[in-house]
Amino acid sequence: MSETETEPRTSETDTPSTTTAGETDEEIREEWRNYEFAGPAKIAVEDLDVYYGDDHALKGVSMDIPEESVTALIGPSGCGKSTFLRCLNRMNDRIKAAEIDGSVQFDGEEIYQDRVDLVELRKRVGMVFQAPNPFPKSVRENITYGPRKHGDIDTGLLARLTGRRDEKAAEDLVERSLKQAALWDEVSDRLDDNALGLSGGQQQRLCIARCLAVDPEVILMDEPASALDPIATAKIEDLIEELAEEYTVVVVTHNMQQAARISDQTAVFLTGGELVEYDDTEKIFEDPQSQRVEDYVSGKFG
Amino acid sequence: MARERYRDDLDALRADVVALGEDVVAQLERALDALEAGDEDAAEAVVAADAEINERYLDLEQACIDLFALQQPVASDLRFVAASFKILTDLERVGDLASNLGRYTRDTPESRLDTVDVRAIGAETVALVEAALDAYEREDVAACHRVAERDDEIDALCRTAGERVVRDLLGEAAADGDAWGVEAILEDVSRALLTVRDLERVGDHAVNVAARTLYLVDNDSALLY
Repeated sequence: MSETETEPRTSETDTPSTTTAGETDEEIREEWRNYEFAGPAKIAVEDLDVYYGDDHALKGVSMDIPEESVTALIGPSGCGKSTFLRCLNRMNDRIKAAEIDGSVQFDGEEIYQDRVDLVELRKRVGMVFQAPNPFPKSVRENITYGPRKHGDIDTGLLARLTGRRDEKAAEDLVERSLKQAALWDEVSDRLDDNALGLSGGQQQRLCIARCLAVDPEVILMDEPASALDPIATAKIEDLIEELAEEYTVVVVTHNMQQAARISDQTAVFLTGGELVEYDDTEKIFEDPQSQRVEDYVSGKFG
Repeated sequence: MARERYRDDLDALRADVVALGEDVVAQLERALDALEAGDEDAAEAVVAADAEINERYLDLEQACIDLFALQQPVASDLRFVAASFKILTDLERVGDLASNLGRYTRDTPESRLDTVDVRAIGAETVALVEAALDAYEREDVAACHRVAERDDEIDALCRTAGERVVRDLLGEAAADGDAWGVEAILEDVSRALLTVRDLERVGDHAVNVAARTLYLVDNDSALLY
Protein backbone atom coordinates (compact mmCIF):
# COMPACT_ATOMS: atom_id res chain seq x y z
CA MET A 1 0.00 0.00 0.00
CA SER A 2 1.23 3.47 -0.80
CA GLU A 3 2.11 5.93 1.88
CA THR A 4 -0.36 8.68 2.44
CA GLU A 5 0.74 12.24 2.07
CA THR A 6 0.74 14.26 5.22
CA GLU A 7 0.26 17.97 5.24
CA PRO A 8 2.71 19.81 7.45
CA ARG A 9 0.88 21.49 10.30
CA THR A 10 2.36 24.75 11.41
CA SER A 11 0.09 25.04 14.43
CA GLU A 12 1.27 21.73 15.86
CA THR A 13 3.98 23.14 18.05
CA ASP A 14 1.93 25.76 19.81
CA THR A 15 -1.35 23.96 20.42
CA PRO A 16 -2.35 24.00 24.07
CA SER A 17 -3.89 20.52 24.16
CA THR A 18 -2.51 17.99 21.72
CA THR A 19 -4.58 15.36 20.01
CA THR A 20 -3.94 12.26 17.95
CA ALA A 21 -3.91 14.29 14.74
CA GLY A 22 -2.13 17.25 16.25
CA GLU A 23 -5.29 19.35 16.25
CA THR A 24 -6.65 21.35 19.14
CA ASP A 25 -9.94 20.40 20.73
CA GLU A 26 -11.31 23.62 19.31
CA GLU A 27 -10.37 22.60 15.76
CA ILE A 28 -11.88 19.19 16.29
CA ARG A 29 -15.06 20.74 17.60
CA GLU A 30 -15.20 22.94 14.54
CA GLU A 31 -14.84 19.81 12.40
CA TRP A 32 -17.73 17.87 13.88
CA ARG A 33 -19.91 20.91 14.09
CA ASN A 34 -19.78 20.91 10.33
CA TYR A 35 -20.16 17.17 10.15
CA GLU A 36 -23.25 15.97 8.34
CA PHE A 37 -24.87 12.75 9.47
CA ALA A 38 -26.75 10.52 7.09
CA GLY A 39 -30.27 11.47 8.13
CA PRO A 40 -31.90 14.85 8.63
CA ALA A 41 -31.61 16.36 12.11
CA LYS A 42 -34.55 15.65 14.41
CA ILE A 43 -33.09 17.75 17.17
CA ALA A 44 -30.66 20.60 16.64
CA VAL A 45 -28.87 21.95 19.70
CA GLU A 46 -26.95 25.20 19.44
CA ASP A 47 -24.67 26.70 22.10
CA LEU A 48 -26.44 25.17 25.04
CA ASP A 49 -25.27 26.27 28.48
CA VAL A 50 -26.72 24.99 31.72
CA TYR A 51 -25.91 26.36 35.17
CA TYR A 52 -26.99 24.88 38.48
CA GLY A 53 -26.39 27.94 40.64
CA ASP A 54 -22.65 28.61 40.35
CA ASP A 55 -21.98 25.27 38.71
CA HIS A 56 -21.55 25.53 34.94
CA ALA A 57 -22.88 22.05 34.08
CA LEU A 58 -22.91 22.31 30.28
CA LYS A 59 -20.63 24.57 28.28
CA GLY A 60 -21.71 25.73 24.87
CA VAL A 61 -22.83 22.36 23.54
CA SER A 62 -23.89 22.19 19.91
CA MET A 63 -24.94 19.02 18.14
CA ASP A 64 -27.46 17.72 15.64
CA ILE A 65 -29.26 14.49 16.45
CA PRO A 66 -30.28 12.67 13.27
CA GLU A 67 -33.70 11.06 13.11
CA GLU A 68 -34.41 7.34 13.18
CA SER A 69 -31.06 6.40 14.62
CA VAL A 70 -29.44 5.74 17.97
CA THR A 71 -27.25 8.48 19.40
CA ALA A 72 -25.21 7.53 22.46
CA LEU A 73 -23.98 10.04 25.01
CA ILE A 74 -20.98 8.79 26.98
CA GLY A 75 -18.61 10.26 29.51
CA PRO A 76 -17.64 10.07 33.16
CA SER A 77 -20.02 10.90 36.01
CA GLY A 78 -20.68 14.60 36.33
CA CYS A 79 -19.73 15.35 32.73
CA GLY A 80 -23.16 16.74 31.93
CA LYS A 81 -24.50 14.00 29.66
CA SER A 82 -27.66 13.45 31.74
CA THR A 83 -28.14 17.19 32.07
CA PHE A 84 -27.91 17.42 28.29
CA LEU A 85 -30.43 14.61 27.83
CA ARG A 86 -32.86 16.26 30.22
CA CYS A 87 -32.63 19.51 28.27
CA LEU A 88 -34.07 17.78 25.23
CA ASN A 89 -37.55 17.57 26.72
CA ARG A 90 -37.14 20.37 29.26
CA MET A 91 -36.99 18.08 32.27
CA ASN A 92 -34.50 20.52 33.78
CA ASP A 93 -37.33 23.05 34.06
CA ARG A 94 -38.33 21.11 37.14
CA ILE A 95 -35.05 21.99 38.85
CA LYS A 96 -35.43 25.50 40.27
CA ALA A 97 -31.71 26.32 40.39
CA ALA A 98 -31.17 25.34 36.75
CA GLU A 99 -30.58 28.14 34.31
CA ILE A 100 -30.59 27.25 30.65
CA ASP A 101 -29.15 29.28 27.79
CA GLY A 102 -29.03 28.47 24.10
CA SER A 103 -31.26 26.85 21.57
CA VAL A 104 -32.82 23.41 21.21
CA GLN A 105 -34.86 22.93 18.07
CA PHE A 106 -37.15 20.00 17.64
CA ASP A 107 -38.17 19.56 13.98
CA GLY A 108 -37.03 23.15 13.50
CA GLU A 109 -39.20 24.49 16.36
CA GLU A 110 -37.51 26.13 19.33
CA ILE A 111 -38.56 24.26 22.48
CA TYR A 112 -37.19 26.90 24.86
CA GLN A 113 -39.87 29.50 24.38
CA ASP A 114 -42.79 30.37 26.60
CA ARG A 115 -45.64 29.19 24.43
CA VAL A 116 -44.36 25.60 24.17
CA ASP A 117 -46.84 23.14 25.67
CA LEU A 118 -44.65 21.00 27.95
CA VAL A 119 -47.17 18.17 28.15
CA GLU A 120 -47.25 17.97 24.37
CA LEU A 121 -43.44 18.24 24.16
CA ARG A 122 -42.92 15.38 26.61
CA LYS A 123 -45.48 13.30 24.75
CA ARG A 124 -43.43 13.71 21.58
CA VAL A 125 -40.11 13.36 23.39
CA GLY A 126 -40.56 10.46 25.80
CA MET A 127 -38.15 9.38 28.49
CA VAL A 128 -37.05 6.12 30.11
CA PHE A 129 -35.06 6.29 33.33
CA GLN A 130 -32.25 4.30 34.90
CA ALA A 131 -34.34 2.44 37.48
CA PRO A 132 -37.54 0.93 36.14
CA ASN A 133 -40.36 2.97 37.61
CA PRO A 134 -43.70 1.42 36.62
CA PHE A 135 -46.81 2.73 38.28
CA PRO A 136 -48.01 0.45 41.12
CA LYS A 137 -50.90 -0.57 38.92
CA SER A 138 -51.69 -3.41 36.56
CA VAL A 139 -49.58 -4.00 33.45
CA ARG A 140 -52.54 -2.90 31.35
CA GLU A 141 -53.10 0.33 33.30
CA ASN A 142 -49.43 1.22 33.01
CA ILE A 143 -49.88 1.31 29.25
CA THR A 144 -53.27 3.03 29.09
CA TYR A 145 -52.54 5.68 31.73
CA GLY A 146 -50.67 8.06 29.45
CA PRO A 147 -52.96 7.89 26.42
CA ARG A 148 -55.97 8.34 28.70
CA LYS A 149 -54.43 11.44 30.25
CA HIS A 150 -53.66 12.77 26.80
CA GLY A 151 -57.23 12.00 25.75
CA ASP A 152 -56.16 9.52 23.11
CA ILE A 153 -58.45 6.84 24.51
CA ASP A 154 -61.56 7.27 26.60
CA THR A 155 -62.18 4.74 29.30
CA GLY A 156 -62.62 7.12 32.24
CA LEU A 157 -65.68 8.12 34.20
CA LEU A 158 -66.82 10.76 31.73
CA ALA A 159 -66.51 8.30 28.89
CA ARG A 160 -68.55 5.77 30.81
CA LEU A 161 -71.23 8.36 31.65
CA THR A 162 -71.45 9.46 28.05
CA GLY A 163 -71.54 5.88 26.94
CA ARG A 164 -68.36 6.15 24.94
CA ARG A 165 -65.83 3.44 25.74
CA ASP A 166 -62.88 2.75 23.55
CA GLU A 167 -62.21 -0.66 25.07
CA LYS A 168 -61.15 -2.10 21.75
CA ALA A 169 -58.79 0.79 21.07
CA ALA A 170 -57.30 0.41 24.54
CA GLU A 171 -56.80 -3.34 24.10
CA ASP A 172 -55.15 -2.81 20.72
CA LEU A 173 -52.88 -0.17 22.16
CA VAL A 174 -51.84 -2.40 25.08
CA GLU A 175 -51.01 -5.24 22.73
CA ARG A 176 -49.21 -3.07 20.18
CA SER A 177 -47.12 -1.25 22.78
CA LEU A 178 -46.15 -4.42 24.60
CA LYS A 179 -45.24 -6.11 21.35
CA GLN A 180 -43.13 -3.14 20.28
CA ALA A 181 -41.31 -3.36 23.60
CA ALA A 182 -40.75 -7.11 23.09
CA LEU A 183 -42.70 -7.86 26.26
CA TRP A 184 -46.04 -9.14 24.97
CA ASP A 185 -45.09 -12.83 24.89
CA GLU A 186 -44.01 -12.70 28.50
CA VAL A 187 -46.97 -10.81 29.99
CA SER A 188 -49.94 -11.37 27.67
CA ASP A 189 -51.59 -13.66 30.24
CA ARG A 190 -50.89 -11.38 33.22
CA LEU A 191 -52.12 -8.01 32.00
CA ASP A 192 -54.13 -7.51 35.17
CA ASP A 193 -51.28 -8.40 37.52
CA ASN A 194 -49.50 -5.65 39.38
CA ALA A 195 -46.54 -4.39 37.32
CA LEU A 196 -44.34 -4.38 40.39
CA GLY A 197 -44.47 -8.18 40.31
CA LEU A 198 -42.52 -8.27 37.04
CA SER A 199 -38.75 -8.81 36.95
CA GLY A 200 -36.48 -5.77 36.68
CA GLY A 201 -35.87 -6.32 32.98
CA GLN A 202 -39.59 -6.77 32.33
CA GLN A 203 -40.39 -3.64 34.33
CA GLN A 204 -37.92 -1.65 32.23
CA ARG A 205 -39.46 -2.92 29.00
CA LEU A 206 -42.88 -2.06 30.43
CA CYS A 207 -41.61 1.49 30.99
CA ILE A 208 -40.47 1.56 27.36
CA ALA A 209 -43.91 0.23 26.29
CA ARG A 210 -45.53 2.92 28.42
CA CYS A 211 -43.40 5.52 26.70
CA LEU A 212 -44.32 4.13 23.26
CA ALA A 213 -48.03 4.09 24.07
CA VAL A 214 -48.31 7.87 23.75
CA ASP A 215 -46.75 7.64 20.29
CA PRO A 216 -43.57 9.69 20.77
CA GLU A 217 -41.11 10.68 18.06
CA VAL A 218 -38.01 10.77 20.20
CA ILE A 219 -37.14 8.44 23.08
CA LEU A 220 -34.60 9.61 25.62
CA MET A 221 -33.04 6.90 27.75
CA ASP A 222 -30.92 7.58 30.80
CA GLU A 223 -28.85 4.49 31.60
CA PRO A 224 -31.75 2.22 30.66
CA ALA A 225 -29.90 -1.04 31.31
CA SER A 226 -27.50 -0.23 34.13
CA ALA A 227 -29.77 -1.78 36.77
CA LEU A 228 -30.28 -4.97 34.77
CA ASP A 229 -28.46 -8.29 34.42
CA PRO A 230 -26.68 -9.14 31.13
CA ILE A 231 -29.60 -11.10 29.68
CA ALA A 232 -32.13 -8.36 30.40
CA THR A 233 -29.56 -5.84 29.14
CA ALA A 234 -29.23 -7.71 25.85
CA LYS A 235 -33.02 -7.59 25.43
CA ILE A 236 -33.07 -3.84 26.04
CA GLU A 237 -30.19 -3.35 23.59
CA ASP A 238 -31.98 -5.37 20.93
CA LEU A 239 -35.09 -3.33 21.56
CA ILE A 240 -33.23 -0.02 21.27
CA GLU A 241 -31.91 -0.97 17.86
CA GLU A 242 -35.33 -2.05 16.71
CA LEU A 243 -36.93 1.17 17.96
CA ALA A 244 -34.44 3.22 15.97
CA GLU A 245 -36.12 2.06 12.79
CA GLU A 246 -39.11 4.23 13.67
CA TYR A 247 -37.98 6.55 16.42
CA THR A 248 -35.07 8.81 17.20
CA VAL A 249 -33.34 7.32 20.22
CA VAL A 250 -30.87 9.12 22.46
CA VAL A 251 -29.19 6.98 25.11
CA VAL A 252 -27.00 8.01 28.00
CA THR A 253 -24.78 5.15 29.09
CA HIS A 254 -21.76 4.54 31.28
CA ASN A 255 -21.19 1.34 29.41
CA MET A 256 -18.93 2.20 26.48
CA GLN A 257 -19.25 -1.28 24.99
CA GLN A 258 -22.98 -0.79 24.97
CA ALA A 259 -22.61 2.51 23.16
CA ALA A 260 -20.31 0.81 20.62
CA ARG A 261 -22.75 -2.06 20.06
CA ILE A 262 -25.99 -0.20 19.65
CA SER A 263 -25.40 3.36 18.53
CA ASP A 264 -24.97 5.01 15.15
CA GLN A 265 -23.41 8.20 16.53
CA THR A 266 -21.57 8.73 19.78
CA ALA A 267 -21.07 11.99 21.63
CA VAL A 268 -18.32 12.08 24.24
CA PHE A 269 -18.76 14.51 27.13
CA LEU A 270 -15.81 14.99 29.44
CA THR A 271 -15.50 16.58 32.83
CA GLY A 272 -16.55 20.18 32.94
CA GLY A 273 -19.67 19.87 30.81
CA GLU A 274 -17.85 19.92 27.50
CA LEU A 275 -18.87 17.95 24.46
CA VAL A 276 -15.39 17.00 23.27
CA GLU A 277 -16.14 14.87 20.23
CA TYR A 278 -19.20 13.72 18.33
CA ASP A 279 -19.01 11.43 15.32
CA ASP A 280 -20.05 8.13 13.79
CA THR A 281 -19.67 5.44 16.43
CA GLU A 282 -17.06 3.57 14.36
CA LYS A 283 -14.96 6.72 14.20
CA ILE A 284 -15.17 7.36 17.95
CA PHE A 285 -14.14 3.82 18.84
CA GLU A 286 -11.60 3.19 16.10
CA ASP A 287 -10.03 6.55 15.43
CA PRO A 288 -11.09 9.37 17.75
CA GLN A 289 -9.60 12.75 16.92
CA SER A 290 -9.14 14.01 20.46
CA GLN A 291 -6.44 12.52 22.67
CA ARG A 292 -8.74 12.95 25.68
CA VAL A 293 -11.45 10.93 23.95
CA GLU A 294 -8.89 8.30 22.94
CA ASP A 295 -7.79 8.03 26.57
CA TYR A 296 -11.36 7.85 27.81
CA VAL A 297 -12.64 5.17 25.41
CA SER A 298 -9.51 3.07 25.91
CA GLY A 299 -9.84 3.22 29.68
CA LYS A 300 -6.80 5.37 30.44
CA PHE A 301 -8.36 7.61 33.03
CA GLY A 302 -6.75 10.29 35.10
CA MET B 1 -31.68 -7.46 16.97
CA ALA B 2 -28.30 -6.14 17.96
CA ARG B 3 -27.29 -9.69 18.77
CA GLU B 4 -28.98 -11.00 15.65
CA ARG B 5 -27.08 -8.53 13.51
CA TYR B 6 -23.89 -9.46 15.32
CA ARG B 7 -24.48 -13.15 14.49
CA ASP B 8 -25.28 -12.15 10.91
CA ASP B 9 -22.06 -10.13 10.74
CA LEU B 10 -20.06 -13.14 11.93
CA ASP B 11 -21.75 -15.41 9.39
CA ALA B 12 -21.17 -12.85 6.65
CA LEU B 13 -17.50 -12.61 7.58
CA ARG B 14 -17.12 -16.37 7.26
CA ALA B 15 -18.90 -16.40 3.87
CA ASP B 16 -16.88 -13.44 2.60
CA VAL B 17 -13.56 -14.95 3.67
CA VAL B 18 -14.47 -18.18 1.87
CA ALA B 19 -15.60 -16.24 -1.23
CA LEU B 20 -12.32 -14.30 -1.28
CA GLY B 21 -10.46 -17.60 -0.92
CA GLU B 22 -12.36 -19.12 -3.81
CA ASP B 23 -11.55 -16.17 -6.03
CA VAL B 24 -7.90 -16.34 -5.02
CA VAL B 25 -7.89 -20.04 -5.97
CA ALA B 26 -9.42 -19.12 -9.33
CA GLN B 27 -6.64 -16.55 -9.82
CA LEU B 28 -4.07 -19.21 -9.06
CA GLU B 29 -5.65 -21.60 -11.56
CA ARG B 30 -5.74 -18.94 -14.26
CA ALA B 31 -2.09 -18.08 -13.56
CA LEU B 32 -1.11 -21.74 -13.91
CA ASP B 33 -3.07 -22.10 -17.16
CA ALA B 34 -1.46 -18.97 -18.57
CA LEU B 35 1.95 -20.23 -17.54
CA GLU B 36 1.42 -23.60 -19.16
CA ALA B 37 0.12 -22.05 -22.38
CA GLY B 38 2.66 -19.21 -22.37
CA ASP B 39 -0.32 -16.88 -22.82
CA GLU B 40 0.82 -13.31 -22.13
CA ASP B 41 -2.67 -11.78 -22.27
CA ALA B 42 -4.14 -14.27 -19.84
CA ALA B 43 -1.14 -13.70 -17.56
CA GLU B 44 -1.65 -9.93 -17.70
CA ALA B 45 -5.32 -10.41 -16.81
CA VAL B 46 -4.29 -12.30 -13.66
CA VAL B 47 -1.88 -9.52 -12.68
CA ALA B 48 -4.54 -6.86 -13.27
CA ALA B 49 -7.20 -8.71 -11.28
CA ASP B 50 -5.02 -8.70 -8.15
CA ALA B 51 -6.01 -5.10 -7.39
CA GLU B 52 -9.61 -6.14 -6.85
CA ILE B 53 -8.50 -8.96 -4.53
CA ASN B 54 -6.47 -6.46 -2.52
CA GLU B 55 -9.40 -4.12 -2.23
CA ARG B 56 -11.71 -6.83 -0.96
CA TYR B 57 -9.03 -7.98 1.44
CA LEU B 58 -8.84 -4.49 2.94
CA ASP B 59 -12.62 -4.27 3.20
CA LEU B 60 -12.77 -7.57 5.06
CA GLU B 61 -9.94 -6.55 7.32
CA GLN B 62 -11.95 -3.42 8.15
CA ALA B 63 -15.00 -5.61 8.84
CA CYS B 64 -12.91 -7.52 11.41
CA ILE B 65 -11.70 -4.27 12.99
CA ASP B 66 -15.30 -3.03 13.19
CA LEU B 67 -16.32 -6.24 14.93
CA PHE B 68 -13.45 -5.91 17.41
CA ALA B 69 -14.19 -2.26 18.12
CA LEU B 70 -17.97 -2.34 18.20
CA GLN B 71 -18.88 -5.83 19.41
CA GLN B 72 -15.91 -6.77 21.56
CA PRO B 73 -16.21 -10.46 20.69
CA VAL B 74 -15.16 -12.93 23.39
CA ALA B 75 -14.52 -16.68 23.65
CA SER B 76 -15.13 -18.61 20.40
CA ASP B 77 -16.33 -15.45 18.65
CA LEU B 78 -13.06 -13.72 19.54
CA ARG B 79 -11.04 -16.66 18.21
CA PHE B 80 -13.15 -16.70 15.06
CA VAL B 81 -12.64 -13.01 14.27
CA ALA B 82 -8.95 -13.10 15.22
CA ALA B 83 -8.36 -16.24 13.12
CA SER B 84 -10.28 -14.82 10.18
CA PHE B 85 -8.26 -11.61 10.40
CA LYS B 86 -5.05 -13.66 10.06
CA ILE B 87 -6.47 -16.01 7.41
CA LEU B 88 -7.38 -13.04 5.24
CA THR B 89 -3.73 -12.04 5.12
CA ASP B 90 -2.73 -15.53 4.00
CA LEU B 91 -5.35 -15.54 1.26
CA GLU B 92 -4.27 -12.12 0.07
CA ARG B 93 -0.68 -13.41 -0.09
CA VAL B 94 -1.78 -16.39 -2.19
CA GLY B 95 -3.35 -13.81 -4.51
CA ASP B 96 0.00 -12.00 -4.68
CA LEU B 97 1.78 -15.25 -5.53
CA ALA B 98 -0.73 -15.98 -8.32
CA SER B 99 -0.02 -12.48 -9.56
CA ASN B 100 3.75 -13.24 -9.40
CA LEU B 101 3.24 -16.30 -11.61
CA GLY B 102 1.27 -14.14 -14.02
CA ARG B 103 4.09 -11.61 -14.09
CA TYR B 104 6.73 -14.26 -14.89
CA THR B 105 4.65 -15.51 -17.82
CA ARG B 106 3.90 -11.99 -19.02
CA ASP B 107 7.53 -10.93 -18.94
CA THR B 108 9.14 -14.07 -20.36
CA PRO B 109 6.45 -16.16 -22.08
CA GLU B 110 8.97 -18.24 -23.97
CA SER B 111 10.88 -19.30 -20.93
CA ARG B 112 11.49 -23.01 -20.53
CA LEU B 113 10.05 -24.85 -17.58
CA ASP B 114 9.94 -28.27 -19.17
CA THR B 115 12.20 -29.93 -16.63
CA VAL B 116 9.64 -29.21 -13.89
CA ASP B 117 6.10 -30.54 -13.77
CA VAL B 118 4.63 -27.18 -12.76
CA ARG B 119 1.14 -28.33 -13.67
CA ALA B 120 1.28 -31.21 -11.19
CA ILE B 121 2.72 -29.13 -8.33
CA GLY B 122 0.31 -26.31 -9.15
CA ALA B 123 -2.68 -28.64 -9.07
CA GLU B 124 -1.55 -29.91 -5.67
CA THR B 125 -1.25 -26.40 -4.23
CA VAL B 126 -4.65 -25.40 -5.63
CA ALA B 127 -6.20 -28.47 -4.04
CA LEU B 128 -4.47 -27.69 -0.76
CA VAL B 129 -5.80 -24.12 -0.56
CA GLU B 130 -9.26 -25.44 -1.39
CA ALA B 131 -8.99 -28.06 1.34
CA ALA B 132 -7.84 -25.44 3.88
CA LEU B 133 -10.74 -23.14 2.97
CA ASP B 134 -13.16 -26.01 3.30
CA ALA B 135 -11.72 -26.89 6.72
CA TYR B 136 -12.18 -23.25 7.78
CA GLU B 137 -15.73 -23.07 6.49
CA ARG B 138 -16.76 -26.32 8.18
CA GLU B 139 -14.44 -25.90 11.18
CA ASP B 140 -13.09 -29.39 10.52
CA VAL B 141 -10.19 -30.21 12.82
CA ALA B 142 -9.17 -33.48 11.11
CA ALA B 143 -9.10 -31.72 7.73
CA CYS B 144 -6.73 -29.09 9.18
CA HIS B 145 -4.23 -31.77 10.16
CA ARG B 146 -4.53 -33.39 6.73
CA VAL B 147 -3.70 -30.05 5.08
CA ALA B 148 -0.48 -29.85 7.09
CA GLU B 149 0.47 -33.40 6.09
CA ARG B 150 -0.23 -32.81 2.41
CA ASP B 151 1.93 -29.70 2.48
CA ASP B 152 4.89 -31.85 3.49
CA GLU B 153 4.42 -33.70 0.19
CA ILE B 154 4.33 -30.43 -1.73
CA ASP B 155 7.51 -29.31 0.01
CA ALA B 156 9.21 -32.55 -1.06
CA LEU B 157 7.99 -32.13 -4.65
CA CYS B 158 9.30 -28.57 -4.73
CA ARG B 159 12.64 -29.54 -3.28
CA THR B 160 13.12 -32.22 -5.93
CA ALA B 161 11.95 -29.87 -8.66
CA GLY B 162 14.35 -27.17 -7.53
CA GLU B 163 17.27 -29.57 -7.56
CA ARG B 164 16.32 -30.82 -11.01
CA VAL B 165 16.13 -27.29 -12.40
CA VAL B 166 19.60 -26.50 -11.23
CA ARG B 167 21.06 -29.84 -12.32
CA ASP B 168 19.43 -30.06 -15.76
CA LEU B 169 19.50 -26.47 -16.92
CA LEU B 170 22.88 -25.59 -15.49
CA GLY B 171 24.27 -28.87 -16.74
CA GLU B 172 23.02 -27.92 -20.17
CA ALA B 173 24.68 -24.53 -19.90
CA ALA B 174 27.98 -26.03 -18.86
CA ALA B 175 27.86 -28.42 -21.78
CA ASP B 176 27.00 -25.57 -24.11
CA GLY B 177 29.88 -23.34 -23.06
CA ASP B 178 28.47 -20.35 -24.96
CA ALA B 179 28.36 -17.19 -22.76
CA TRP B 180 25.24 -15.82 -24.44
CA GLY B 181 23.51 -19.17 -24.01
CA VAL B 182 24.53 -19.35 -20.33
CA GLU B 183 22.87 -16.00 -19.65
CA ALA B 184 19.64 -17.07 -21.32
CA ILE B 185 19.66 -20.32 -19.39
CA LEU B 186 20.31 -18.50 -16.11
CA GLU B 187 17.17 -16.48 -16.72
CA ASP B 188 15.26 -19.68 -17.27
CA VAL B 189 16.76 -21.16 -14.12
CA SER B 190 15.88 -18.22 -11.92
CA ARG B 191 12.35 -18.08 -13.30
CA ALA B 192 11.86 -21.79 -12.78
CA LEU B 193 13.19 -21.56 -9.24
CA LEU B 194 10.97 -18.58 -8.45
CA THR B 195 7.96 -20.42 -9.82
CA VAL B 196 8.69 -23.46 -7.70
CA ARG B 197 9.34 -21.32 -4.64
CA ASP B 198 6.09 -19.39 -5.10
CA LEU B 199 4.07 -22.59 -5.38
CA GLU B 200 5.75 -23.91 -2.26
CA ARG B 201 4.76 -20.67 -0.49
CA VAL B 202 1.16 -21.13 -1.60
CA GLY B 203 1.21 -24.45 0.23
CA ASP B 204 2.61 -22.76 3.35
CA HIS B 205 -0.23 -20.22 3.32
CA ALA B 206 -2.74 -23.05 3.03
CA VAL B 207 -1.18 -24.57 6.16
CA ASN B 208 -1.46 -21.20 7.91
CA VAL B 209 -5.17 -21.12 7.09
CA ALA B 210 -5.52 -24.60 8.56
CA ALA B 211 -3.45 -23.65 11.63
CA ARG B 212 -5.62 -20.61 12.38
CA THR B 213 -8.72 -22.71 11.85
CA LEU B 214 -7.46 -25.20 14.40
CA TYR B 215 -6.93 -22.32 16.82
CA LEU B 216 -10.42 -20.98 16.21
CA VAL B 217 -12.12 -24.35 16.70
CA ASP B 218 -10.14 -25.80 19.59
CA ASN B 219 -7.89 -23.00 20.79
CA ASP B 220 -5.20 -25.43 19.60
CA SER B 221 -1.89 -23.93 18.47
CA ALA B 222 -0.43 -27.26 17.29
CA LEU B 223 0.07 -26.17 13.68
CA LEU B 224 1.30 -22.66 14.44
CA TYR B 225 4.95 -23.35 13.67
